[in-house]
Amino acid sequence: MAVVARQELRDLWLAGRGFLLAFAFSVLLSAITYLAATNEALNFLERRESVNLALQVAVAVGALLALLVAADAISGERERGTLESLLLTPMARASLISGKLLAALSLWVGAMAIAVPYVWFLGHQVGAAGEAILIGLVAGTLLAIALTAFGMVVSTLARSNRISLSVSLFVLLALFAPTQLPTGAQQGWAGELLLRVNPVTATLRYIGKVVVDQHAWTRDLSWLLSPLLGAVVLTALAVAVAPRFITLRGGALG
Amino acid sequence: MKTGRVHALAGLLLVVSAMAASGAARAASPEVSMSRTHVATSIGEELRFTSLIANPGSTPLSGLVAHLDVVSWDRDVYVDPEDWSSERTRYLPPLAPGRSIEVPWTVKAVNSGHLAVYVTVLGAGPPDTGPALDARVASRTTIDAGGALPLAVGIPVLLGIAAIGVRRRRPR
Repeated sequence: MAVVARQELRDLWLAGRGFLLAFAFSVLLSAITYLAATNEALNFLERRESVNLALQVAVAVGALLALLVAADAISGERERGTLESLLLTPMARASLISGKLLAALSLWVGAMAIAVPYVWFLGHQVGAAGEAILIGLVAGTLLAIALTAFGMVVSTLARSNRISLSVSLFVLLALFAPTQLPTGAQQGWAGELLLRVNPVTATLRYIGKVVVDQHAWTRDLSWLLSPLLGAVVLTALAVAVAPRFITLRGGALG
Repeated sequence: MKTGRVHALAGLLLVVSAMAASGAARAASPEVSMSRTHVATSIGEELRFTSLIANPGSTPLSGLVAHLDVVSWDRDVYVDPEDWSSERTRYLPPLAPGRSIEVPWTVKAVNSGHLAVYVTVLGAGPPDTGPALDARVASRTTIDAGGALPLAVGIPVLLGIAAIGVRRRRPR
C-alpha cells in the first residue's frame, strides 16, 4: 500500500496536476476572501459568517478535488492501458485501492493547508480562526473520505473514465442541491432529516453551527453521523468489495 | 296616527343605531405601537424592539397575525426583508378585550441608508399598521481590505510558481 501511495503521490504532485488544481483552488479562495473583505454587499456579514463562507467553500471544493482524482484512479488506468501492468505486480488489489485512496486524499489535505491562511485572515480578529480550522479539518476530513471512497468505487465499476467522472460529479451535485433549498423547505422534520442524512449538507450545517452560532463543538455532533457512516461504509466498500471488481474491462456502471 | 308612526320610526332608528354601535364594537381593530421609534446603527448590527398589540374593543380578537416588513426610503437601495429576519410572521394568541401582547422582534441591518421597519397586524378586518421604526443604518467595513490583497495575490502566485517549477522539472 505504501509503495502505491508513494508512486501515486509522486504522479499527482510532481507530474503537475496536483499543483495545478491547488492553484485553481487558491484562486477561488482568494476571490472569496477578497470579496468578503472589500465588497460592501458581503461586508455586512459578521466576521464569523465570512469565516464560515470561506471554510464551507474550502471544504466543499477540497472534497470535490479529492473525489475527482479518486474517480479517475482505476477507470483512468484502464483507459490509459496501464491497469494491466499494475495488476501484474505482486500486490493485493486492496493495497492498490488503499494506496490510490490515500493519494487522492492528499489533495484534500493540500486544500485544507491552502485554506488555513485565508480562514486565519478572516477570523483571527474575532478569535474564530483556530476553532474554524480545526472543525473544518475534522468534519471536512470525514466528508472527504466518504466522497473519495465513493469515487473509487465508481471508478472501479465504471466501464469508462468518462462515465466514472460523470457519475461522480452528478452524485456530488445532487448532494449539494439541498443547500440551495429555500430556508422554509429546510425546516420541519422532513427538511431536517434530508439535511442530516446527506453527508454534504450535514457537514456544512455542523460547521455553520459551530463557527457562526458559536455552539460548543460537542453540542451538534449528531450532525456528523452521516459523514462518519459514509466514511466508514464507503471506505469498507472501496477497500474490501471493490477490489473484486477490478478487471481490465469495466464493471457494472455504464 | 301620524304621531304613532313617527314614534315607531324613531324607535326603529334607535334600534338600528344601537345595532350599528354594537357592530362597531365587535369590529374594533387592534392597535399597534412600537417600543422604539428611532434607531441609529451600523450595517451588520442586530436591532431589537418590541411591538405592542392591544385590543381596545369590547370583544375578544382571535386569529391575529403580526408581520414585520422593511422598506428603504432610498429608491436605489434594494431591500429583501428575508435577509433582515427569517422570522417575520407571528401567529398571536387570542386577545381579550382591553388586553395587549408584546411581540419581540430581532432583525439584522443588512442594508445601509434610511429605512423604515414596521409591523402590520392582520385578521380583524383591514390590516392595521403601527408607526414605523425609523432606522438610520451606517455602512461600515468589518475587515481590513488592504490586508486581503497581498494574501489574495500571494498564495496563488506561490502555487502557480510551484506548478510551473514542477512541470519544468518533470522528466520527459
